[in-house]
Amino acid sequence: MLPVAARYAGSRVQRVEDPRLLTGQGTFVDDVVRPGMLHACFVRSPLARARILSIDVSRALELDGVAAVFVAGDLNPDVREPWFSTTGKDVPDTPRPPLAEGEVRFVGDPVAVVIARNRYVAEDAADLVDVEFEPLPAFASYTDANGANERIHDGYAANVAGQMGGGNGDKVRAACETAAHVVSETIYQQAYAAVPMETRGLVVEWAGGELTMWAATQASHEVRAVASRLLGLAENRIRVVARDTGGGFGQKTLPLREEMCLMLLARRVPAAVKWIEDRRENLIGAGSARHEHGTATMAFDADARILAVAIDHVQDVGAYPTPWPVGVAAATGLLFPGPYRVPLADWSTTTVFSNTVGRTAYRGPWQYETVAREMMLDIAARRIGIDPVELRRRNMLGADDMPYANPNWMTYDHMAPIQVFDKAIELIDYESFRHDQEVARSEGRYLGIGTSSYVEPTTAAMNHYGSEGATIRIEPSGAVNVYLAGGSTGNSLETAAVQLAADALGADIADVNTIQGDTALTPFGAGTGGSRSGSMIAGAVAVTAQILRERIIAIAAHRLEAAPEDIELADSRASVRGTPAKSLTLEEIARIAYLDLGSLPPDTPAGLEASGRYRAEAPVIWANATHVCTCQVEAETGRVTILRYVVSEDCGPMINPNIVEGQIAGGTVQGIGGALFEHLAYDADGNPVSSTFVDYLMPTMAEVPLIEYGHIETPGPGAGGYKGVGEGGAIGAPPAVINAVADALSPLGVTITRLPLNPAAVVALITEARG
Amino acid sequence: MAEMEIEMKVNGRSRRAVVEPRLTLADFLREECHLTGTHLGCEHGVCGACTVLLDGDAVRSCLMFAVQADGAQVTTVEGLGSPDALSPIQEAFRDHHGLQCGFCTPGFIVSVTAFLRDHPAPMVEEIRSALSGNLCRCTGYQGILAAVQAAVSDPAPTTG
Amino acid sequence: MKPAPFTYHAPTDLDEAVELLSELGDDVKVLAGGQSLVPMLALRLTAFDHLVDVGRIDELRGIRADGDALWIGAMTTQASVERSSIAAGAVPLLSRATPLIGHFQIRNRGTVGGSVAHADPAAEYPAVAVTLDADLETISVRGRRTIPARDFFLGTWTTQLADDELLVGIRFPVWAGRTGFAVEEMAQRHGDFALAGATVAIALEGQTITRCSIGLFGLGSTPLRAPVDGLVGARPADVAGKEIGDAAVAALDGVPSDIHASGEYRTRVGAVMVARAWASAVEEAGRG
Repeated sequence: MLPVAARYAGSRVQRVEDPRLLTGQGTFVDDVVRPGMLHACFVRSPLARARILSIDVSRALELDGVAAVFVAGDLNPDVREPWFSTTGKDVPDTPRPPLAEGEVRFVGDPVAVVIARNRYVAEDAADLVDVEFEPLPAFASYTDANGANERIHDGYAANVAGQMGGGNGDKVRAACETAAHVVSETIYQQAYAAVPMETRGLVVEWAGGELTMWAATQASHEVRAVASRLLGLAENRIRVVARDTGGGFGQKTLPLREEMCLMLLARRVPAAVKWIEDRRENLIGAGSARHEHGTATMAFDADARILAVAIDHVQDVGAYPTPWPVGVAAATGLLFPGPYRVPLADWSTTTVFSNTVGRTAYRGPWQYETVAREMMLDIAARRIGIDPVELRRRNMLGADDMPYANPNWMTYDHMAPIQVFDKAIELIDYESFRHDQEVARSEGRYLGIGTSSYVEPTTAAMNHYGSEGATIRIEPSGAVNVYLAGGSTGNSLETAAVQLAADALGADIADVNTIQGDTALTPFGAGTGGSRSGSMIAGAVAVTAQILRERIIAIAAHRLEAAPEDIELADSRASVRGTPAKSLTLEEIARIAYLDLGSLPPDTPAGLEASGRYRAEAPVIWANATHVCTCQVEAETGRVTILRYVVSEDCGPMINPNIVEGQIAGGTVQGIGGALFEHLAYDADGNPVSSTFVDYLMPTMAEVPLIEYGHIETPGPGAGGYKGVGEGGAIGAPPAVINAVADALSPLGVTITRLPLNPAAVVALITEARG
Repeated sequence: MAEMEIEMKVNGRSRRAVVEPRLTLADFLREECHLTGTHLGCEHGVCGACTVLLDGDAVRSCLMFAVQADGAQVTTVEGLGSPDALSPIQEAFRDHHGLQCGFCTPGFIVSVTAFLRDHPAPMVEEIRSALSGNLCRCTGYQGILAAVQAAVSDPAPTTG
Repeated sequence: MKPAPFTYHAPTDLDEAVELLSELGDDVKVLAGGQSLVPMLALRLTAFDHLVDVGRIDELRGIRADGDALWIGAMTTQASVERSSIAAGAVPLLSRATPLIGHFQIRNRGTVGGSVAHADPAAEYPAVAVTLDADLETISVRGRRTIPARDFFLGTWTTQLADDELLVGIRFPVWAGRTGFAVEEMAQRHGDFALAGATVAIALEGQTITRCSIGLFGLGSTPLRAPVDGLVGARPADVAGKEIGDAAVAALDGVPSDIHASGEYRTRVGAVMVARAWASAVEEAGRG
């Protein structure tokens, strides 16, 4: 590929999405209206576990305005092949019936679905569906379920969905025996979730033997693939359209059971059907995340250098996890060594069912490795009696160490963790904070500082994630359209695509538009997930634009009687180097390509349209960051106030710094929420107790700090050197906050091993430490 | 349960409809008026995505019934600017990356419009406190706060 | 999340309203600002055949001096109280509690009477009414009556109001002389219901406390008055805020526990809130 002058990439270009979104002109799934459209409402289990004795839908069907009521017997038998591209066809996936069959396994488990004139009537009818339940003993807690005789799913003894491990346990134990310092703690993280501001939703319409769906999704093509497999319907009979999607963060990566129901029932109703999940459904039924614990062990030599680390990890996956959760758990073990020089490691992971909502993907699904490691390093530093920053400096990898194979055979490359760390420490002015902290302590105020560093495998090239396609059409007027699978849920992929394409074609950005999210128009692509979009669309645009660039240059050179190598493209104009007066606009070139074919050079095809497919150049692209948080803790009330927050990261060159910083900030604040506020909680009987926004507490503008950024650029092994940055903020933030609180309370002898740190938990920790 | 006839001015235009009393103002705006910029993020009055101006006051349109707004003047996000003519506050949000997915954005735009009208020169803590009734899950509020501060320091041309 | 069907009534005067409430029996609910009722309807935690919207009754609105009290109409919005200089001058505690209620969009619709009649034990206005010994004026077809705020609250969301009875207005006594008022609450986030909160009102003559009242909210099924034994006649300089706080919560029982905080936490922090409110009320009275 020829190097292309970057005029737009790297700068804070205004977003092309904004004018419509700022004025209420976006098109979210709930904005879609179809002729005669009906509305769905699910009847959900009020019990954590029960046998379904009978379902009587007659009263519901009698209600004026009700079109249909479906139960498991109506929909489930139609399922052909329910598998996801991320997992593949051959992995023995966990159960996932569209509607509950015979038994309900969590509060919110869909039992029936009502189709009615509008959502109001559908809810009225849902209240009239009579379901007779026989309660069964439920496992509200995955730790109780783990190893129990009573089974949540047949075929899963001890309620274990799967186990994996590294097999180095003996070696690590031996290393611990001779180590100068061994630190071991069990660290528990509460459940919290993605909670996009737009809930899930889908409109399905079966007409003329074709299924059209308007979806709130991160991956239109995967929704199409799932529907195709589920229904046994050819992919070219299915169209999925996603225009604007109101946040996803992993929750909208894959269709869940409700969406499967909609796909299945589309053929049985006379009109389009809309399902918009309400917020309570979202908080009880759209999936949980985090919720795991692990016993972590770290052995150090007398100089506080790491000799070995180990994590024995157990995660809750609820009743119906999506996707197959066992593989993701392995990443938690494999990444536990993090950005440190660790000669030896062991890990094990156990994935356990419970009678709670299923685990779904959430921004950095293996985040627990960073939570456990970074909390442990601070605990270790206090036990050893070394400054936590110094402990990290002694052990952290730098650019000179790359490539570096971690003890779990993950080969890191294209990273400079210690340089990123040092930048963060410099930005926060660590020494002067320590001084302020001393002064504050002498006045009885508790200030603290915490850091968190991680490495993140972005842009993983597994399965369908390994390639990305683009089609670029320069229309006869010279207007440019870039077609990409997309999947933007706020991550600005339209703007990024337009920036990249304008640069690649030498076009004025105002001449470039992009069309994304519609499977009927766009090339196959895996959507957003795994922090892959920046790199992959950059590659797709680059390989595709290159075809057109050569053609544009050929036409211009021929018409301007210059050598192709002397043609320059900029501002939608091709000109002859050194003779700027000799030039053609993109519009003139497009006119030749489509309308004045006689002026084309010989051997140059007509038209200016090309498709290309980029294949990832590396199995993963490593990104990394260090978060530093300072806080004040009010011991009387347990209130934590964040004072400063620094994120220093290396996501390679930035396509658009605004977008990068926006991703970091959004992820970071989700992580702050997870550390201090958010808890998707259940009571002892398995009833969800945070099913509204009155109880599920996300940070507001009043709770969040200003976030300061440091950027280190180590180009990655892919298009433009770009790395992923979508998930990192959510991974790095919780331990930085927790470590800051722990540091603040260290004079009181507090050790933090359970989350979240809401005010009551902080006061309890202090009380406990004071004895 | 009888349906009722109501009339209100929405974005300056008279709207008449026969509605069920239980129809929320938010659903009335979205479904009867086809003004889908008013978003429903929670339907229980916490997230603020459905904020509209009712006789000039910012209110949650999910927490009132359309029949209660009979005779009122309602302004939705669509009434504050258009893609070709953004309001100064909308411009500031664009300039400062004050939105990502855009779902919560209409509620913020309406809330900020009312807040800055009543508090033309707020301190940063007042901004934070005033906007704590609007939830955003994408931006971490960084760009939103910057946008509001910019809209304060860069006042719009004086209007009558 | 859509409410069940109901019939809507919007009377324009009090007589019509009480007639309706009387006729419609026990499946009727008064709709005031709706900021608590509508979410409960939307979540279908509750449902009524009839809603009587009292928002179009002008007699229910207003803030005015009424002898040695301030009268506030039940349908006066919280935002109106927040903006009212009359309220700020006459009943500072009410004004200071107002910005702690929800968010400004909520206060634009939420009403004084709605908040009091809804009787959430963690809400600010019921605590202010109880602290100041406000009188609640009600009306029904059986006539008008006045209920002392301290008798009004029976439990979580439960009051003395009969099904056919409407809250008309609230008379908040105006404390004269050198007074100090403060409200302190601990909420997890800005605008959340308090995990624990306290209100303090005191009056001084010379260096002596002549009158004082301490209210607690979020610490039981209703707003509470804490005992103030021995405080009247004492000098503020001789009593420690921490001891007052500890004494205020000493006899509490049934302090609620939930996922946000244990009863133990609420009690402990309730004492802290009392101590803080005490300190700032004393400071204000001392300046007077």
